[in-house]
Amino acid sequence: MDLMKECWTGKINTVTLGATEKEGGTRTSQITVGGETALPFLFKEGDIPHAPVIAMEVLDAEPTDWPEVLKKPFGDALKDPVKWAVKCVEEYKARLICVKLIGTHPDFGNKSAADAAKLVKDILQAVKVPLIILGSGDDEKDNTVLAKASEAAKGEKCLIGDATEKNYKTLAASCLADGHNIIGESPIDINIAKQVNILISEMGFPLDRIVVNPTIGALGYGLEYAYSIMERARNAALLGDKMLSMPFICFVGQEAWRAKEAKATSSEHPEWGDESERGPLWEAQTAVAVLQTGGDILVMRHPKAVEEVRKYIDSLMKKG
Amino acid sequence: MEKFKVKFKPSGKIAEVKKGADLLAAAVSCGLFINSSCGGEGVCGRCKVVIKKGKFRTEPTGRISHEERKKGYVLACLTTVEDNLEVFVPRESRLDLTKVKDEEARLHRLKGMYSEAVDIDKGKPIISEEIFTHSPISTKIYLELPPPTLDDSVSDYERLVRKIKEKYDIPMMQTGLRNLRRLGSVLRHSDWKVTVTLGKRNETTEVVIIEPGDSSGENYGVAFDIGTTTVSGQLINLNTKEILGTKATYNKQIIFGDDVITRIVFAKEESGLERLHHAVIDNMNSIIRALTTEYSVPLNQVTGVICAGNTTMIHLLLRVDPTHIRREPYVSTANFVPVIRASEAGIKVHPRGLLACIPGVSTYVGGDIIAGTVACGINNEDKLTLLIDVGTNGEIVLGNKEWMACCSASAGPAFEGSGVSCGMRAIKGAVERVEINSKFEPKVKVKGDEKAMGICGSGYIDLISCMFKRDIVKRDGKINRDLKTKRIRQKDGEYEYVIVFKKDACCDYDIVIKESDIENIKRSKGAIYSAAAILVKKFDLKFSDLDRIYIAGGFGTFLDIDSAISIGLLPDLDRSKFKFVGNSSLIGSREILLSYDTMKKAEEIARKMTYIELSKDPSYMDEYVSSLFFPHTDLEKFPSVKK
Repeated sequence: MDLMKECWTGKINTVTLGATEKEGGTRTSQITVGGETALPFLFKEGDIPHAPVIAMEVLDAEPTDWPEVLKKPFGDALKDPVKWAVKCVEEYKARLICVKLIGTHPDFGNKSAADAAKLVKDILQAVKVPLIILGSGDDEKDNTVLAKASEAAKGEKCLIGDATEKNYKTLAASCLADGHNIIGESPIDINIAKQVNILISEMGFPLDRIVVNPTIGALGYGLEYAYSIMERARNAALLGDKMLSMPFICFVGQEAWRAKEAKATSSEHPEWGDESERGPLWEAQTAVAVLQTGGDILVMRHPKAVEEVRKYIDSLMKKG
Repeated sequence: MEKFKVKFKPSGKIAEVKKGADLLAAAVSCGLFINSSCGGEGVCGRCKVVIKKGKFRTEPTGRISHEERKKGYVLACLTTVEDNLEVFVPRESRLDLTKVKDEEARLHRLKGMYSEAVDIDKGKPIISEEIFTHSPISTKIYLELPPPTLDDSVSDYERLVRKIKEKYDIPMMQTGLRNLRRLGSVLRHSDWKVTVTLGKRNETTEVVIIEPGDSSGENYGVAFDIGTTTVSGQLINLNTKEILGTKATYNKQIIFGDDVITRIVFAKEESGLERLHHAVIDNMNSIIRALTTEYSVPLNQVTGVICAGNTTMIHLLLRVDPTHIRREPYVSTANFVPVIRASEAGIKVHPRGLLACIPGVSTYVGGDIIAGTVACGINNEDKLTLLIDVGTNGEIVLGNKEWMACCSASAGPAFEGSGVSCGMRAIKGAVERVEINSKFEPKVKVKGDEKAMGICGSGYIDLISCMFKRDIVKRDGKINRDLKTKRIRQKDGEYEYVIVFKKDACCDYDIVIKESDIENIKRSKGAIYSAAAILVKKFDLKFSDLDRIYIAGGFGTFLDIDSAISIGLLPDLDRSKFKFVGNSSLIGSREILLSYDTMKKAEEIARKMTYIELSKDPSYMDEYVSSLFFPHTDLEKFPSVKK
């Protein structure tokens, strides 16, 4: 007896991060995501040519709200973003680094655009994996910071974000000029996700250089809702909606480590058990759900969670 | 229950309210009006106030920005009194009716504070008039009665009825005591020659008025469309069916709230219902007065009035408490209002003249849409028809003579020229057509070929469509900052496009369209399109299954269907399927005034029509958000709209 198979007509765009010497960059590796013609891991229904990848997060300022259990694996490197990035690549085998320029935010240090540009250059020097570059979330500041950062990384085919419904033009123009990919962000809303993609693409931005950040919530904090929105978007894409056929990037670490269930120590909540297990598990569990609904790039924090999820991806990708 | 004092600054007005009362209600109780479009639901964000002193409780809302929250801003409707408070009401939240400055004067004039009844388009019949038999609500007949003799000694009243029944087949008749008291002397003083006005009151015919002599040649009626934003009336010769004149004003109730919900809330305030009632009666009387004066018709020759309006408007017009309309399970006092004397409602025509209100389907689908359905003749057609009435409450009817369904969508008053910075009704001086060339220079057509004063609904539709085609406006409704033209500029932190500069206009300001106007219109068109889409989908149909689409609304004589499609107000279909019909509610009201048989049809339609409640449909919100884009998030739905 044959299983009933869903026949999809659409295909998720393939997006490549990182430019090697041959392509005019200085990366020694590339990451390709997307290309699916079926729902996640349903190999019998279509192609899943590229495994989901994990990017490790590096901040340009020492994190103030991270719990001990999350700080510990990085130690002193948290004070130096370049070292931090190196540690992620060499020690924790990260194949992709996500630099978040949170320190440029007017309320969190207000570092200059020049500082940010220099940091991007330094990290590009120190590690040879592809880079994701994120702003601080302050629209006005991001427009100067990300423009400089984009210029500093020209030709490296980074992934830069986030472009939003309200603020997409400057970033899209920079990424277009400097040959980068772009992240379009929407607030857990399939329509707005699509609208942002249309707006960016109407500026002449190629669809296969856009990645969607659908925004998610952590386990226990609206994950189901995010899951269903991603599922709907993926269904629409596989049915042929070109304006939703982008790979997803999901900020798993940032969301998971906001949950008090991940952060609280065992002395605060003895009944919850050891936080050195609980925290990473919370992050990994969030990641697993997101993978099942179509996450292509997961941005994560704790090395232990990263390792577990990597194993999980490997096991799922062993077709059959 | 504890009571607290709330002092509002800068007015200094003090409200004394119970603990837990909301600030919006507190303000109204001391005669201070704060903007509120959503009626205190915490949705519109127009009632921002700053708490200066005292304890309060407020609900979180996305309408207050981070900076504002730090400064103590809250939404008055979501904030309850827990202490004696001092509250500052910022200028933008005040609905101040006493201070009238340039900008405000314009706003208030537009909003109907000072607006007079002005001429509007009379509204051409939509379908062949032969369908409507000539049977006006009130008919005058001249009678010469044989004087009584000893052989023919029936009473005066029976004598009158006998004569009437000789001429007409009328089974049931009645009259008022007042007429009986006067009957004996009127008949004798007029030498048994009188004019009788017969009125239709459901199944009964009433002898409404008895006048000496022959005045049967002079019989007039007024048909009204009572809209949430606009009140229009038409004076008609009931004998000849001739339309003498048509006038409209803004509904004066606007000062108590933009939409029906706000007004229902206001009706609960002290003397709120009376003020709302008087406002609309004022509107109607001023239209009647203006029309009768202009066409030299004595007021006492006006014997019949017909009103089409949404359920709330009819309640307020009759001064019936509308409270239960907005409370679950949303039941009104009456959808079928009996025929009453117009003077009972305060309408100044012949004191015994009749007032009939066209029946509604439900609390949210009123007689206005039934009037429109009658006017379009949907109930006579085999063809599958969609009627879209673009008003503050956008109403949509789908069906044919076999079945009918309707829904209503809260679209806001933007297409009627209210709530947009340079909006006005489709009257003389309104920009009604726009073209924009490749240098971003507009060419406008102004109604009445005068200098421009503002922009009407069809003007806005044309304008945004052209701006979109010329890339002046992006798909998300933002104005393109990169174009080099003096017409795009930033003013008070907001981008705008100048359509007519002051020097070429008939007003002392530039006529512009702001990003917030575009946003308003985007929401209005989104609400209407998505309501139509859901209604059609509910019956497993597609837009392409429709045979005909009627577009109604106070756009005046003109609406460019192409423009309306390219902004995503109407579905992208073969243009020949569309017909713009004007104010279908007013036209229907007129047909019914002239044909009481049609009133019976209207009742039948109202009983037959199925009402679909959109708020119960989980997919409505989704459909709405996806239509908040030009023309739509699903570009495939608008294949003919290309940049």
